[in-house]
Amino acid sequence: MAETVDTPDTPPSDPQTERALEVVRSALPEAVVASELSGRHPWIQVRVEDLRAACRLLRDEPTLQMDCCHLISGVDWPEAAEIEVVYHLCSYSLKPPAAYGRRAEKNDPWIALKVRVPRDQAEVPTVMDIWTGADWHERETWDLVGVRFTGRRELRRVLLPDDWPGHPLRKDWEFPASYHGVPIIPPEGL
Amino acid sequence: MADAPDLLSGGEPEGTTHIHERQELVGRDVRTEEMVFNMGPQHPATHGVLRVAVKTDGEYVRALQPHVGNIHRCVEKIGESVPYYQWVPYLDRMDYLAAMCNEHVGCMAIEQLGEIEVPERAEYIRIIVVELQRILSHLMAIGVYGLDLGAFTPFLHQFRERERGMDLLDHLSGGRLLYHYIRIGGVKRDVSRDWLDELEAFLADVEKRMPEYNTLLLHNHVFQERTFHVGIIDRDTAVRWGVTGPALRAAGVDWDCRRDAPYSIYDRFDFEVPHGVSDIGGEVGDCYQRHWIRVREVEESLKIIRQALAGLPEGPVMGRVPKGFKPKPGEVYVRGENPRGELACYMVSVGKSDKAWRARCRGPSFSNIACITEVSEGLLIGDLVSLIGSLDIVLGEVDR
Repeated sequence: MAETVDTPDTPPSDPQTERALEVVRSALPEAVVASELSGRHPWIQVRVEDLRAACRLLRDEPTLQMDCCHLISGVDWPEAAEIEVVYHLCSYSLKPPAAYGRRAEKNDPWIALKVRVPRDQAEVPTVMDIWTGADWHERETWDLVGVRFTGRRELRRVLLPDDWPGHPLRKDWEFPASYHGVPIIPPEGL
Repeated sequence: MADAPDLLSGGEPEGTTHIHERQELVGRDVRTEEMVFNMGPQHPATHGVLRVAVKTDGEYVRALQPHVGNIHRCVEKIGESVPYYQWVPYLDRMDYLAAMCNEHVGCMAIEQLGEIEVPERAEYIRIIVVELQRILSHLMAIGVYGLDLGAFTPFLHQFRERERGMDLLDHLSGGRLLYHYIRIGGVKRDVSRDWLDELEAFLADVEKRMPEYNTLLLHNHVFQERTFHVGIIDRDTAVRWGVTGPALRAAGVDWDCRRDAPYSIYDRFDFEVPHGVSDIGGEVGDCYQRHWIRVREVEESLKIIRQALAGLPEGPVMGRVPKGFKPKPGEVYVRGENPRGELACYMVSVGKSDKAWRARCRGPSFSNIACITEVSEGLLIGDLVSLIGSLDIVLGEVDR
């Protein structure tokens, strides 16, 4: 991404995400694929192979201390044949930097980290050993979106029954005709 | 059963008081083995349909695994399948004890996505009903926790108060538990002068009665014995597992989204954020402190409502929401402080559609209950009930 230019037209960039980008760039120059620094939802996209290293950096960096994995979400993009996994990280050790105050666009000091993996081979390394709380979020993302997290202990479904067919939040998922002999009538509009 | 042990005449062997010594004695004479059993899904102390598979060694918990999903209702799938405004009532049904708070966060996310302005008066009314909801939810949590530990009376007293509060919300929205009152762009109906007077009377009564209730539980010796030093979630564990809300603050983390990352108009109010300290009794992060935080938060919510009532401006209660609302492409991540912790909504819009591309919710109870796998090791089974009760989970939100 091009350097942001300070003109009245460019919206201000998010200090927290800017700092995170610096930290990741300086340690892993190749890792960052794309980023968005301004607006309501700034994010940083890294390569899948650098995900764990980037997460460690953000957690251990003293000026960020992202000690909590707030949420892991999977988003299906069938047109790009990709699945995006979004990690929302936040810190409970550090108070928001003074620059935050009451910012109009984003005044909440979380950081969004994204990876994209091919849809037919959606495999992402686990971050469970970095943030224990990622455990159930990873299980849920596997359950509903079908992202396989590797390198962790058994990846079991968490919300749906173990023998449920497919992953319902994939855009091409279809309602099964029946489940254990009970016919399923999809609701209208689906 | 000729050789059944004589239970009545038996007693502790002389000179053995330590529990481990006693266990050794048992191991010599009685065959002991680890046993796995299910607690739930219909166990009254699990607050809903939660099944916990517990591996026990006598009365001690060695390992456990919570099994959730029994009432999964596809909130996220529905969020992708129906227009934005139709999704809001589904949010009510996640955490059904804090429906207003869910609506608030969900509507804020959708409003940010669609860049919709909310009128000033509506923002104030939102704060009033959300904080009223927080009081009701905490009254429920405080009362039911007593019930979990075997004290029936406080539960009935607190339900009397809670019922009055729910009547207030009923008059406002037409629903007792699930309101669909906060809408995209504002609130459904304006509040009347009578309603505000009634609310003030209710707040005065809650304030007067909280100290009475505290004598029943908080300052009760039996209650303290059951909760002091039990189920300790320390700071590191809480943060690592993503535990939020009263349980995080009880662990000594001084963090509240309302103050530290103010959303809506919370930055205009003056209130304290209680967090766990060692001089109130028990120890930081134990069941007692989680209970104490809720009691304190009721008091702080009273303060916030009074300030909001004093500052309530005149004006419309509904902003301009375009017909056939179709937000531009974009994403938002909004989190808000619910009674149980931080509820967050991650919404993705691709534009030209009245439906979200992705509607993701982070239920605070989901993260809070996950941590019991680690925390419960070595607890007595009776204390496990105390631990789960003190986390105050709502299974509707865990399973979504």
